[in-house]
Amino acid sequence: MSERSEVVLVVDDERAIQRFLRPSLEEAGYTVLEASTGKSALELAVAKKPAVVLLDLTLPDMDGLDVLKRLREWSSAPVIVVSARGEESDKIAGLDQGADDYLIKPFGVDELLARIRVALRHAERAARDPEPLYEHGELKIDLTARRVWVAKKEVRLSPLQYNLLVALVRNAGRVVAQKQLLKELWPEGGSTPEALRILVHQTRHRIEKEPVRPRHLKTEPAVGYRLEAPDE
Amino acid sequence: MPSPLREYALSIVAAAACTAACFALSSVLTLTDLVMVYLVGALVVAVRGRRGPALLAALLAVLAFDFFFVPPRYTFHVEHPQYVVTFVVMFGVVFLINHLALRIRSQAEAAQRTEIVAASEKLRSSLLSAVSHELRSPLTAILGSATTLLHGRKEDAGLIENIRDEAERLSRLVHNLIETTRLESGAVLKKEPHSLEEVVGTALERCEKQLAGRRVEADLPENLPLVPLDPILMELVFVNLLENAVLHAPKASIEISARERMDFIEISFADDGPGLKSEDTERVFEKFYRASAAPGGAGLGLAICKAVIEAHGGTIKAENLPTGGAVFRLTLPRGKA
Repeated sequence: MSERSEVVLVVDDERAIQRFLRPSLEEAGYTVLEASTGKSALELAVAKKPAVVLLDLTLPDMDGLDVLKRLREWSSAPVIVVSARGEESDKIAGLDQGADDYLIKPFGVDELLARIRVALRHAERAARDPEPLYEHGELKIDLTARRVWVAKKEVRLSPLQYNLLVALVRNAGRVVAQKQLLKELWPEGGSTPEALRILVHQTRHRIEKEPVRPRHLKTEPAVGYRLEAPDE
Repeated sequence: MPSPLREYALSIVAAAACTAACFALSSVLTLTDLVMVYLVGALVVAVRGRRGPALLAALLAVLAFDFFFVPPRYTFHVEHPQYVVTFVVMFGVVFLINHLALRIRSQAEAAQRTEIVAASEKLRSSLLSAVSHELRSPLTAILGSATTLLHGRKEDAGLIENIRDEAERLSRLVHNLIETTRLESGAVLKKEPHSLEEVVGTALERCEKQLAGRRVEADLPENLPLVPLDPILMELVFVNLLENAVLHAPKASIEISARERMDFIEISFADDGPGLKSEDTERVFEKFYRASAAPGGAGLGLAICKAVIEAHGGTIKAENLPTGGAVFRLTLPRGKA
């Protein structure tokens, strides 16, 4: 059953959470390691080199963000921050410190597994050349030809709209913080979050069938945007 | 307390007015009566509470009385030592009255503070009782379902679903509570120009499961300007309005629309359900008010909507449509162009 058997390190001091995560993750084919303190998490991470780390921000011995910072000093393994605090500033701080994604408690198992899959795939892709083709539902983006199709019909986008999609495709499935998008799309600076919101709005009206119910380009309120992971 | 400058001015005005009155009455009143006129003037200032102006009023009254009326008149010279006693008594009375006025005022303020504390205590305890009721029923359902499953011979999908649904209900309640306390503790809105379409979109996504199988239309003009708002709180408003419709208008379709007005944006959430009772249109926004016998809901959702919208400088009202069904109309001030 464990054809993957990648190691997931779960850092959480709540026994109830560990109790439901272990069977869910094992059933999905992962090997689970558990740590309930920041110190033991760092030790396990060094010893076992997990493929993904699920990191709760509230730990008994140290701040989860500090654990993340220490981990990032030597490891590039994807880290998914898990927080019950739900503050937008937490999410942004986590992403800033090098987290790949975040989940807010309460979350569902399906959502967790999807995020882990995305994080693993992204880590794997980062190691080699990017996929030249992105396909999700009716949306198709060809990065080599710089062309975009929706339901087999080619869509003309402005250079900025296209660049937005490229920035999101590179991180497909993961949230991209507003700050990062601003830096990538307007490297010379001088732009504002409003300009980004207008750009997203316009792009949605090009690529989404129902822009108010986006299927591809999702909003992470007060944090950033996420382009859905490509179809398997 | 009134501003000190105005009080000092009042002291001078009082002394001048008393002097004028004394001149008018000097032919019919004796000197001791004139002292009373001055005393009244100084006391008027003293009871208003500030010490400095009260003492100034007393001093001016003594000086004016001495200068204009105590023989020899039009000098500050005093012939009979008894008038010195009069001056001291005037001063003493003004000081005493002022002291009492100050004390009464501080007692009144303390009483008011106690009253505010008592009112918020009362609110807190009613919040606690409403919330604990709302927490207990889903918890009972979860506990009961889980125990039944543990003892049960077969797996029952209905019970498992029950656990999930009730846990989701708890989760929504906790979310609402957190945002309410955040609002009430006077947290600042993180207001920035946002696309209304985007915020409506995230609210629709959050309610996806509850809205399943229901027609929901969103008619938002593509060229609607960005609106200054706190996206997290505004999403909560929209989610609460959608959940309210789900709760009170089962199976009804929902229509969300927005229009640009002169200096505000109007947004409406309409359904074709049974509508509101006329007394409810006013009361639905009250905290812990629960319209009709609809189950679920702690009477918090719409109260939060109102608090959030008003914090944005907007308005919210509930009406019935002529065709039946309820409509919630919100306005939000639009930003500077």
